[in-house]
Amino acid sequence: MKKNLAPLLAAVAFLAACDPENSATPIPAPDIFILSEGEFTKGDGAVSAFNSRTNGLAVDYFGSANGGAKLGDVVQHMGVQGQRGYIVVNGSKKIEVVNLPDFRTAGTISGLDQPRYFTATSATRGYVTEWRGPYTGYLPGVLSILDLSTNTVTSRVPVGRNPEHLLALGGKIYVPNSLDNTISVVDEATGALASTITVSDGPSSMVADKDGNIWVLCSGFVSYATGAAVQVSAGALIRFNPSVPSAQLKFTFPATSSPGSLRINPAKDQLYYGFGGAEYQMSVAATALPTAPFIRRSFSGFAIDARDNRIYAAVSPSYNTNGRFIRYQASGVAIDSFEVKVGPNGFVFY
Amino acid sequence: MHLFNFGRAGWRQSLLGLLLAGPGVALGQQPGPAAAPPDSARLSRRQHRLAEVQVRAVGPERFAVGSRRFELDSAVLAQYRGANLADVLQARTPLVLKNYGPGQLATIALRGTSAQHTAVLWNGLNIMLPTLGQNDFSLLPAGANTRVAVQPGPAAALYGSGAIGGAVLLNTDPDWRPGSRGSVQADAGSFGLAGGSLEARTTTPTVAVRIAASYREAQNNYSYVLREARGPVRYTLRNAALRHQWSISPDVAWRIGKAGEVTAAAWLTDADREIQAGVNVVGSEARERDQSRRLVLGYRHVAARQQWAVRGAWFEDIINYRDGGTPSNSRVRTSQAQAEHTSALGARGSLRVGAEAQHFAALVDGYGSETITENRAAAFALLRYDPRPALRLSANLRQAALPAGLAPLTPTVGVEWDLLPARPDTLSYSSASQLTIKASAARSYRAPTLNERYWLPGGNTALRPELGAGAEAGLRYRQRRGRRITMEAELTAFRQDVDHWVQWLPSTSTGIWSPRNLRQVRSQGLEASTAVHLRQGSYQGGAQLAYHFTDTRKIQGSAADSDPVGVQLAFVPRHQASLSTDHRWRDWLVSGTFVFSSFRYTNASGTDFLPSTSLLGATVGRTVRGPAGTSVLLLVQAANLLNHTYYSYPGRPAPPRTLGASLRLSWN
Repeated sequence: MKKNLAPLLAAVAFLAACDPENSATPIPAPDIFILSEGEFTKGDGAVSAFNSRTNGLAVDYFGSANGGAKLGDVVQHMGVQGQRGYIVVNGSKKIEVVNLPDFRTAGTISGLDQPRYFTATSATRGYVTEWRGPYTGYLPGVLSILDLSTNTVTSRVPVGRNPEHLLALGGKIYVPNSLDNTISVVDEATGALASTITVSDGPSSMVADKDGNIWVLCSGFVSYATGAAVQVSAGALIRFNPSVPSAQLKFTFPATSSPGSLRINPAKDQLYYGFGGAEYQMSVAATALPTAPFIRRSFSGFAIDARDNRIYAAVSPSYNTNGRFIRYQASGVAIDSFEVKVGPNGFVFY
Repeated sequence: MHLFNFGRAGWRQSLLGLLLAGPGVALGQQPGPAAAPPDSARLSRRQHRLAEVQVRAVGPERFAVGSRRFELDSAVLAQYRGANLADVLQARTPLVLKNYGPGQLATIALRGTSAQHTAVLWNGLNIMLPTLGQNDFSLLPAGANTRVAVQPGPAAALYGSGAIGGAVLLNTDPDWRPGSRGSVQADAGSFGLAGGSLEARTTTPTVAVRIAASYREAQNNYSYVLREARGPVRYTLRNAALRHQWSISPDVAWRIGKAGEVTAAAWLTDADREIQAGVNVVGSEARERDQSRRLVLGYRHVAARQQWAVRGAWFEDIINYRDGGTPSNSRVRTSQAQAEHTSALGARGSLRVGAEAQHFAALVDGYGSETITENRAAAFALLRYDPRPALRLSANLRQAALPAGLAPLTPTVGVEWDLLPARPDTLSYSSASQLTIKASAARSYRAPTLNERYWLPGGNTALRPELGAGAEAGLRYRQRRGRRITMEAELTAFRQDVDHWVQWLPSTSTGIWSPRNLRQVRSQGLEASTAVHLRQGSYQGGAQLAYHFTDTRKIQGSAADSDPVGVQLAFVPRHQASLSTDHRWRDWLVSGTFVFSSFRYTNASGTDFLPSTSLLGATVGRTVRGPAGTSVLLLVQAANLLNHTYYSYPGRPAPPRTLGASLRLSWN
């Protein structure tokens, strides 16, 4: 009863040939990039490229532009300076630098630890916030100052715990420390900590409005010690003038949920944030928080294209399902949607 | 032959079985009248018959008529004695395991179901981790037990919670052959693999003692190539070492009188592992300590027309994880008691009724600082009835009581019918063939795990049990040509649905992840296997070929569950095939294994996937006989012989070709 292996090998070859095609179609002239965090530890974070005129979409544009290279684990943020894109990859502890719009590599900034958000003030000067310490006991983080001509870290400024979405304005870098109640202000010229502004618990995102005021969204603190999510301190939206940071206008949220992700429209007169599973819109001239949502949906990313005022909002249904982004008219009416990789969290318009 | 087998015919048949025993996976079924039972089952039968009292205990598999079951041959297990169960199953069966790397987490997916849907029983007791509701097969050393069987498909009436996809049954059977025997083994291999093991037995007419122990460590510092923007870069895998893995499993059986037997067994395991975080994650220093202590004490009374058994067990499972921050510690103590009574129903049937209770006490950081306790209980009735020797029936019922209320009633029915019965005189050495048609249907359930109920935040005490319902049917063909050749082939088609499938999803308002009963999943497929054994002069050998087709999709979900309907579930390859072949000639041993897996999706969307893999392994061994019953065996083993580059899981490069050598000194 000798076995003839030929049919077996043929069967295996046939089945092996059934692998799906790994096709990445390049699209011409993409003008919007969509960040997908990917699944933690799988190293499958990606940036998709979208052409808003043709609706062409290329998932994992970095991979297809760079010979199948993996972008890395947890794509957190992307900043643009001139013709360069700076992609912050949190789990891989690096910033991938790419040429725009073709996404070919222009270097890697390494030597970072838990990098979060990037901004640049010139072709040679960039900033990235970094967390420090383990998740069970975070330590004060740093603002790393980057030399973008050499793609290296030139110095580090100690800030508060879990520094988040930074803002460059008027020669200063404002760093919200999301596990404290402070904003660290770093002077661009000296590269040193200039002052610390006290706000509410959990400042995480900031925008500057048309009048030059800074708006800070503080998420408040939540405790899970009892099993339920208990809002230890309420969230707050705070406005101040950079010249008089102690004079603050403060809107306090109901202690039912944590607000997050403050954005502003291109005209810089309408604020957007997420709260309690919905997206809200608020005029910078408003005297109270809005009570009715703008879009009754929870988004993992939200941005407005300054070229046509269309809204791009990201949806992440679960940790192992591809996400989507939905386009809306400026009025909040949905237009269409597109599937991207797991965990979309942000948009870059170029 | 029915409940209790006294006959000389049975004894001789077993002897015949032993003679015909070949290495490899015995693709055996519930032994029918003329069936050749699996190798080690034959051993256990024979053991009992050697004694004055020729009665034997009835195993639960006797009540699983019509469902598929296969057993790893003891000669094969001996080849993998230094390895873990994940290694053995992946090399020798077409079963699907999700494996994060050598020594890392390895979970099983029987018939396309999840890791929590395969019950693992040790000496009849469920040893699934109560917190996670699953087992890490990397933590189960292959040499700790004497018998490893797999029963795919729902048979929860027999095996309780979790047996939706099937059950893996580990047993340490006493060896009543008088005298002392044993072996010590040393292992070394690629990438810092080192280990050793011991197995020793001694048996008197009334007491049988066995101890098995093993140690293993591995650096797993192999190199891999990562495709980066600047080009391919070669790295060495870090933070993936198995720092140590101990297993000690003593057991003792003591015969009291002519019908009584006391058994006591322990299984202590201790592993200290670095947890490989994925090669795209930089700088992780995660480590995990897994310790399990399992003790069972039982008494069994086996008489002519009835038998009964009681068992008590105590387990302690510890998982301590840390990755630079505050450690996350978990300790669960489980106390279990089981009692069952089996009686003969006339000459053709037997009925078993029984009950069991479990008490869990969990001190888990994720549940808060208090110890959480939970009780579960179940009662069951198992009926086997053979109207004719060629027609066998079973019908079972189990009702479990869980903290949130009664679990669904889980019945099982099964039938086997010999269409082409073997010749009545099974002792004849002339050719005989047997064709059996078989079918079974069952409902099954999975109780919510402690993590699902008590994790802070998100634990959901209102979670209902998952409910499985499925059926399988097929054909089994066995043929014996003279006394030299046996062959068997089996084809099984199955289909089953799992309802109230639990999924963790974040709340839209608070973002807290919480488990909910969200979806219905359908799994259907085919399992085909064939094996041939040959014995001629001083040669014996054989080959086993098996193929599984598994189609598993979500077919229905609630609005909150956004995973697409109709997509093959992640990490379930549609096609899986294995070929193994073993040959012994005089003092030589040669084995080859080949396992093929088709591509498998890595997320629920069905877009990202791991490509298909073909893995070849081989073993060469030579035994040198020494004086006074001693012998030395040298084994050389190779895995991934073709040096195939692949990922066992996204971000986890699998090892390249590995070599290992073992030296075993045996005495008897």
